[in-house]
Amino acid sequence: MTAAIRTERLTKRYGRHPALTDVTVTVPTGRVVGLVGPNGAGKSTLLGIAAGLITPTSGEIEVLGGRPGQDTAQLARVGFVAQDTPVYGGLTVAEHLRLGAGLNPGWDAELARQRIARLGLDPARRAAKLSGGQRAQLALTLAAAKRPELLLLDEPVAALDPLARRDFLRGLMEFVAELGVGVVLSSHVLADLERVCDHLVLLAESRVLLAGDTEELLATHYRVVGPRGCADALPAGVDVVQAEHTARQSTLVVHDPGGALLRSPCDAEPVGLEDMVLAHLTRAAGAAPAPTTEEPLEARR
Amino acid sequence: MIWLTWRLFRGPALAGTAALAALAAYLVVLGLRLRDTHAEVVGCAGCTADDARGAMENGYFVAVQLSGFALVVVPALLGAFWGAPLVARELEAGTHRLVWAQSVTRGRWLAVRLGVVVLAGVLATGLVGLLLGWAVAPYDEVMGGRFETVVFPSRGVVPLGYAAFAVALGATLGLLARRTLPAMALTLAVFLGLQFLVPTLVRPHLRPPVTETFAFGAFSVGPGGGFSAGPRGARVEAVSLPGAWVLSDGAALHNAAGEPVTSSEVDVCMTGEFRRDMECIGGLNLSYTVSYHPAARYWPFQWIEFGGYLLLAALLTALSFVRLRRVAWTTLLDAEPPGSSTGDDPGGSRWLDQDQPMVLQFSWMLPRPQPKPSTHR
Repeated sequence: MTAAIRTERLTKRYGRHPALTDVTVTVPTGRVVGLVGPNGAGKSTLLGIAAGLITPTSGEIEVLGGRPGQDTAQLARVGFVAQDTPVYGGLTVAEHLRLGAGLNPGWDAELARQRIARLGLDPARRAAKLSGGQRAQLALTLAAAKRPELLLLDEPVAALDPLARRDFLRGLMEFVAELGVGVVLSSHVLADLERVCDHLVLLAESRVLLAGDTEELLATHYRVVGPRGCADALPAGVDVVQAEHTARQSTLVVHDPGGALLRSPCDAEPVGLEDMVLAHLTRAAGAAPAPTTEEPLEARR
Repeated sequence: MIWLTWRLFRGPALAGTAALAALAAYLVVLGLRLRDTHAEVVGCAGCTADDARGAMENGYFVAVQLSGFALVVVPALLGAFWGAPLVARELEAGTHRLVWAQSVTRGRWLAVRLGVVVLAGVLATGLVGLLLGWAVAPYDEVMGGRFETVVFPSRGVVPLGYAAFAVALGATLGLLARRTLPAMALTLAVFLGLQFLVPTLVRPHLRPPVTETFAFGAFSVGPGGGFSAGPRGARVEAVSLPGAWVLSDGAALHNAAGEPVTSSEVDVCMTGEFRRDMECIGGLNLSYTVSYHPAARYWPFQWIEFGGYLLLAALLTALSFVRLRRVAWTTLLDAEPPGSSTGDDPGGSRWLDQDQPMVLQFSWMLPRPQPKPSTHR
């Protein structure tokens, strides 16, 4: 099966600054994929490259088996909602739909009309007068009614209040169910993604830290709590992602894809999605804002 | 795409049309009044050509000059108000990220948008140019001087070239500057700069000027010119060569021996009555040398300058297409975090647009709350 996005050592630099470094990742098709990472991690760059709007510096990328933005047909297969969900402030809602109809050969006018009606958007209203949530819904409608095979959404809910956020994600899930479209959704707010994503790609500092099915990732991450020195006794094959020590006790977050932890004397308990992601991000942030405990973090690799 | 282009261009198009309509109305009035005056002063009983010239000049010099000036400013304004926002406004508002995500390549997007606006600019300038040509025809017929600084660029085909160039220039600068206002200012500056440079540095050299020696006669001194005689010799201050473009400021008179004429040689003729003096000096067998472009070069010069501006417009358009492919559309949304991994370059985020504040939310990825330090051992 063709992957939704497959990259091979994908790199993008702006001047000297890396936005993506050697990103090799495969995102499955037909799923709702969360692209998570702090601001500046390279999420927008990755999505922009996938949408054909940014040219990578080096490396390879295939989207649905084609080169992003190579021609009109490829553009038609990928829907994209950019960050801040840009719309033309001077154009009305109806004019946006006309724009979509004029620029997309596969335009689904019925879908667009129905969705606008269901959202209660006045077609004669100028986009500049819409609320942030309504603008995002309009942008999503434009991207969806072009009937893409893959929908890329860059921080679509970042600027929305919690209620609009929930409505937007609900609308998105309706699409996914109705149209069977694959979605890649980026956010720096993990709670947004937790509800909707069944696959996760974690980016930080322009690199991929972690990628996989959410359930699988959760099933192989544990919190290990035990007396100090427990970390040294962990069997091989266990990756200590994060370690915190007090004088008497160590708390570790470990990744154990091989099931080696069964042989450990320490207590292992499941870890939540947020803690798992934070552990990886904290490690990626490296020496920068490390917790200051009395003892050096000897378990840090 | 055409619909979208028209829809986005509608506002500026209507505003421009309104402004041009006002100018057009003025030109119609000017044209009618010029025709009335022309009928009164040309070919009437007892009127001389000089009288006609005087009447035209006294009545309409300022109006005709300003109209010609307006026709040079029109393309500049079209470039600034129609051309510059074309791409810059999209980049500023971020809507390029909406429109380039549709099933239209951005090359086609630019081709249609730029094409429509360039055509509109050429058409608008052409119509106003035709009207101006009609309005001032009686004035030009009496006054001549079609190579003059304000006359040449406001008649004939060159305004069309200016229009195409100005719009392409605006669009290109908008793409490079990524900001509407600076792009507009730059467009005006570059366009008007060229309007000063081309007539002084380029246009006189489109062909090698003709240098010719004429015998001084009663009609060698052109209208508005004069004749001066002083210790450093005698000069014609404005050489009369109807229809031609005289490049020399004035010309020194030489006698039959080829030596500069001294004032003592012409003193015999100086009585104070201009026409009689000129005829007297004409009898002294004097000559002067001027370099000029003959009248027949008017249309070749028009076409060459028109072609040159079209070529510039084409080059700018090509540059836009090349640039467009490389526009990193980041309006900074995925900016580099502070204290980034490189960490060795305090000014390192300068690649970001300067006036965009760096908004960074790090709160949720801050390190976990620290474990309580143990206070007793």
